[in-house]
Amino acid sequence: MDIVVSHVSKRFVQKQVIKDVTFAIPAGEICCLLGPSGSGKTTLIRLMIGAIPADQGTIEIGGVQIPNMNMLEKIGFMPQNDALYDDLSAEANLRFFGGLYHMEKVKLEKRINEVLAMVDLKEHEKKLVKNFSGGMKKRLSLAVAILHSPEILFLDEPTAGIDPVLRRKIWEQFQDIKNAGTTIIVSTHVMDEVTECDKAALIYNGSLIEYDSVTNLLQKTQNGRVEELFFSASSNSMGGASQ
Amino acid sequence: MIHLAKRVIRQTLNDKRSVMMIFVAPLLILTLVYFLLGDSDYVSTVGIEKDAMPGPLVSALEEQDLHVVELTSDDAQQAKEYLKDHQQVDAIISFSQNSGMTITMYEPSTKGSKAVREIQAAMASLNPAAKVNLSYVYGTQDQSMFDSLGYVFLALFSFFLVFIISGMALVRERSGGTLERLLMTPIKRGEVILGYTAGFGVFAVIQAILIVLYSIFVLKLSSVGNIGWVLLTMVLLAVTAVSFGAAISVFASSELQVVQMIPFTIIPQVFFSGLIPLDLIPYHLGNLSYIMPIYYGAAAIKGVMVYGDGFLQIWGYLLGLILYSFLLYLLNTQALKKFRKL
Repeated sequence: MDIVVSHVSKRFVQKQVIKDVTFAIPAGEICCLLGPSGSGKTTLIRLMIGAIPADQGTIEIGGVQIPNMNMLEKIGFMPQNDALYDDLSAEANLRFFGGLYHMEKVKLEKRINEVLAMVDLKEHEKKLVKNFSGGMKKRLSLAVAILHSPEILFLDEPTAGIDPVLRRKIWEQFQDIKNAGTTIIVSTHVMDEVTECDKAALIYNGSLIEYDSVTNLLQKTQNGRVEELFFSASSNSMGGASQ
Repeated sequence: MIHLAKRVIRQTLNDKRSVMMIFVAPLLILTLVYFLLGDSDYVSTVGIEKDAMPGPLVSALEEQDLHVVELTSDDAQQAKEYLKDHQQVDAIISFSQNSGMTITMYEPSTKGSKAVREIQAAMASLNPAAKVNLSYVYGTQDQSMFDSLGYVFLALFSFFLVFIISGMALVRERSGGTLERLLMTPIKRGEVILGYTAGFGVFAVIQAILIVLYSIFVLKLSSVGNIGWVLLTMVLLAVTAVSFGAAISVFASSELQVVQMIPFTIIPQVFFSGLIPLDLIPYHLGNLSYIMPIYYGAAAIKGVMVYGDGFLQIWGYLLGLILYSFLLYLLNTQALKKFRKL
């Protein structure tokens, strides 16, 4: 399913967090929301899944305006913090969330086994989550997000605090999920991760400063590093401020 | 909803401290209350100046359940000084021509009051015409304080412990981010609150049965009415406590903050639960009890246990609890809009 974000703005009390953002993500692609911490990536994701309403503008997923209760069945969401139940086992966490998606018992059992194998946690399925390492929790959180085979997957900083080896592994899993036909929107502040995506939206101070295919974006830089685009955005805004 | 209820049950069972708090803590505290408020075998000690007192009164005092200590004339005249040095003596009786009999005690306390009751009984035995017999419509003269006030503790425990556990569980759900994740699934907001209520409701039912059976069959708390109504009231009170905990958790961002709200939310309810007769509270402040859920629970439990009331007498209180729960349910589902508008 494709996503269309049209002129979306959001303000929290005194601060304009998202400023007139417009872009469209085609179905079946990985789109990266790239930006420094505090740039508005998480707010944009929360707007796109319908957790918070936009002050202005509209968001449509597959032609359906968000927020929409039926669309929640088709959306998978992995929050920035792991958002798991520490007092439950990995399997019990999955069983609980599967139940909320009204998955029938046999299908749920099969799917739990599949996703646990996918994130390499099969042998730890009976362990309580409170005994998991940070990396294991991240992988289980991803398993929860993809359990109901969503058509669209939102991942908020899924690789934050993860070592490079595990990060590589997690990105391989994202590619597998994408190849199965799922649209993935992933936020990150790790600039190198942009090369894993098809498209990238560069967010800076709540504004969309660039949105294009990763190939095109990298061509706009002098030495193939996407940071350059942020440096120029940063110097432009500082220049504007000094004027 | 059923999935959420099952998860709450499984999660609580995996947390041994919560299990202890729900099932063991109330029995432990009830046992302590039983010993603190129950019949005491304490024997008061009274000091007298034997020579200055009428002989029949001395004999009557010696026949009471008292230790009588003989004092010198100087000690009796300096009663306060003597009591400071001899705190094992609860009261000193002294006589003088001008002021008659004086009873001096170390401080106003239940120990002193017990000594005075024995002295009054001794005096009444000298003059049978002055003897006063007390009789009550409900209860007896010799019942212990535990028998008189035990019902209050049943109400307090079924409310307080469930409130703490459910309030904290919901705060943890919010602070851990699982609430947001939960609300990004197709679950309805009302189902979240009902799921929590059902999950903790199971514990409330077991807790109520344990507390009532323990109080009545082990601690011998007297109950005139049908204990089934007591159980129903306690469960309704616990259900209200879950909603109350959920509502309070909206204003707290950590478990510590739930604890910090106890002086504002729970302690006032303790005072209005029946421990202090509401008619004695000045400026009509007793009417505040109508906004406190514990009042409805305690009043219904008292009705059944003390007056032998049945459903026809307590339905108003039960309805109060149901209405309270319903209002809090509406409030909580509105509060969840903060996380998802739909």
